[in-house]
Amino acid sequence: MATDAPQHRPQPAEAGLVVGHWPHLRGKETIARIMWSVAAALVPAAVAAGYFFGIRAYLHIGLAVATAVITEAIITRLRLGKMTVGDGSAVVSGLLVGFCLPAQARWFVPIVASVVAIAIAKHCFGGLGYNIWNPALVGRAFVHISFPTDMNPSAWPVLTGDHFIGDVGTAVGGLPEGVDAVSGASPLAAVKDIAATHGYTLADVLKLLTFREGPGLWDMFVGTVGGCIGETSALLLVLGAIYLIYKGWVRWQIPLAYLATVALGALFLPLYLTGGEGGTGPTGWQPIITCMPDAALRFVLWHLLGGGLVLGAFYMATDMVTTPITSRGTLIFGAGCGVLTILIRLYGGYPEAVCYSILLMNTTVPLIDRWTQPRIFGHKR
Amino acid sequence: MNRATYPGGVHPPENKWTAESEIETIPVSPRFVVPLSQSLGAPSRPVVSEGETVRKGQMIGRPDGFISAAVHAPTSGTVAGLERIIDSATGRQTDAVAIESDGLDAWAEGLGEPREWQNLDADAIREAVAAAGVVGMGGATFPTHVKLNPPKGKDVDTILINGAECEPYLTCDYRVMLDRAQDIVTGLRLCMMATGAERGCICIEDNKPAAIACLQEAAGARDGCSVRVFETKYPQGAEKQLILACLGREVPTGGLPADVGALVQNVQTARAIADAVTRNVPLIERVLTVSGDAAGAPGNFRVRIGTPIAVLLEKAEVQDGFEELILGGPMMGKDQFTTDLYVTKGTSGVLAMRRAAIYDGGPCIRCGACVRYCPSQVNPSRLSILGESFLDGNLDAIDAAIDAGLMDCILCGACAYVCPSRRRIVHLIEMMRGERRKALQRRREKQEARKAELKREVEKVGD
Repeated sequence: MATDAPQHRPQPAEAGLVVGHWPHLRGKETIARIMWSVAAALVPAAVAAGYFFGIRAYLHIGLAVATAVITEAIITRLRLGKMTVGDGSAVVSGLLVGFCLPAQARWFVPIVASVVAIAIAKHCFGGLGYNIWNPALVGRAFVHISFPTDMNPSAWPVLTGDHFIGDVGTAVGGLPEGVDAVSGASPLAAVKDIAATHGYTLADVLKLLTFREGPGLWDMFVGTVGGCIGETSALLLVLGAIYLIYKGWVRWQIPLAYLATVALGALFLPLYLTGGEGGTGPTGWQPIITCMPDAALRFVLWHLLGGGLVLGAFYMATDMVTTPITSRGTLIFGAGCGVLTILIRLYGGYPEAVCYSILLMNTTVPLIDRWTQPRIFGHKR
Repeated sequence: MNRATYPGGVHPPENKWTAESEIETIPVSPRFVVPLSQSLGAPSRPVVSEGETVRKGQMIGRPDGFISAAVHAPTSGTVAGLERIIDSATGRQTDAVAIESDGLDAWAEGLGEPREWQNLDADAIREAVAAAGVVGMGGATFPTHVKLNPPKGKDVDTILINGAECEPYLTCDYRVMLDRAQDIVTGLRLCMMATGAERGCICIEDNKPAAIACLQEAAGARDGCSVRVFETKYPQGAEKQLILACLGREVPTGGLPADVGALVQNVQTARAIADAVTRNVPLIERVLTVSGDAAGAPGNFRVRIGTPIAVLLEKAEVQDGFEELILGGPMMGKDQFTTDLYVTKGTSGVLAMRRAAIYDGGPCIRCGACVRYCPSQVNPSRLSILGESFLDGNLDAIDAAIDAGLMDCILCGACAYVCPSRRRIVHLIEMMRGERRKALQRRREKQEARKAELKREVEKVGD
């Protein structure tokens, strides 16, 4: 296979001339340039993670990246006889793995997630360009199922006061003391928890939270809320994404379709299915826009900024390898992610819907590609 | 300004360093080697033999078949014999006529004299063009008299003169537009007369304002002739894309421009048509650009067909040690493995590059750039993956590739240019086309053998 062929320069012919096929000019883009730019775009959010969640955040990101790079180096060495770490794709995967783990997870969780991401999700399917699912998300899903208690989103801040230095020891020892892994949940999980424990309807809790107790929208935008290491700061993630979209390395269709679909779903889907929670709620189609119009905007923004949606929409769902190649296809893909995310969030059991909706949509990519091939020049419409 | 364009295309650095260099005439070389195969279709048959004296413009190769073009002596002198040389377009060996110049540069009888052309009919124009051996000088080298004779029932209403010159580095067409604007308009009018087209349009990219002004002035007073400005991008000068951008008509798959009433000629071809019909001058010289980062003195040169490439390299002060020699433009020109080559009618550029661009073919990361920039809206990524699959032994890959637009690709290379993985996309596409050609050939041979066998059987039974 061409991919496995050793790199070579064509042999010079007579007169020392090199003969190749046209074109004889090359654009500037390379895989390495794209991947390192994505990594650079993630750096602000990675740096801020230390401020939000303490030095454990750096420890996790560092372990995830180092494991990803080492795993990639070993496997490419064995498979191809050369190391392709320099192309930066393993660093990006490692960063994303680190980003979607909670800070209080035990130290080996990022290592397991990275090994699964690179060794199984990426190289078992043929390596760069051939994997079906986003490696970082497969790694995350694996540890989510394997170590459920580690994967409850961290509260913010993890430890008050000396959270920059104080928790290095606990990072190795297990769950840090003083943090209740359950009550320190991410905003979305909190809503479901409260609704369940107090027997309120979801709508009542939402009303309560969105106006009194829920995390403020500004906090959610800046990132000073509970959640996984790299997902909380919409501001920093979007800044990095704007750079990537400007450069053309992130296709704007995906985040646009994704976020728009989630927003529309949050607005127009009923808050509970017929009969409501425990059969006490109103019946019929009751979306937020009709039953609580004054809270609708806040509810939508809450969904957009909450959980891993920003990280997922701009960095996970836009992974080139696991998304459709056509422009129309990317719109469908983004919308599909949005539909699944909002369905899982409103009616599903897991608080974090982004990971699984993207993985499910990754599976549909060959089909979407087949449907959306452009009309070839000169062929019938 | 209202610029015509079409979806897709790329913007490689233009590097048109020689745009302001006046055309310089290369002195008549002491020895010429004129390939007999300088056009698409059958090579011409030699009509001179060793030791024979020839005059400038005398026919030395007669067209052989319908799609074939005549070849003429570039100067007066003696035929030194038939030689086997490398054809720069295919890399294969081809026949050529070597001529030792006598230094007189004397025209053959009746050539180079003005002819009354305003009242010629279509057949007379085509005859004059055929006699002059004019072929498409943009690089495709299709015999022009054949092109000027569109199939029955396909009326051409618009002639496009292609002055886009979208290939980086090349500036020869630009200089010809500045120097020979009047002749180009005359060539356009002759094409219109030969085909009965009512409209003529000269197509120029907006990076050549001087040429636009020049041709606007030259075309100004003529009925039906106009200049149209196009967005500067590669491949703006591709025939089908140019028609789409200019007329909004899409040539159907497998079809010809005549199917949508259009006909495209390169500016230098228009110049050659004008010379052939109005001055009775056969196609024995052209203007080309010698450039590239290894050229110390790049320039635009008027050269006779059959001039050794080495003469041009010396003229442009190309130092030894360059790694790549390209004949044509950098996007679609052909790499050469030897410098023992000669100028042909289709040689638009000679580029000497210090370092060759290497496509080492990594995996496709599905970034979609090739799909976005493809001027033919095929999926180059898919075609290249099918090509690799074919090399892996999947013989059905070519059928799938045909469904995916294998034959609709114009081989412009925009996909490979933007590919971050440096995949050999065009190479793989050409490979599959070659394999398809071979398969069809084999099938034909098999059918013929079977037919012959059946015939023998029938005869046997009949006995």
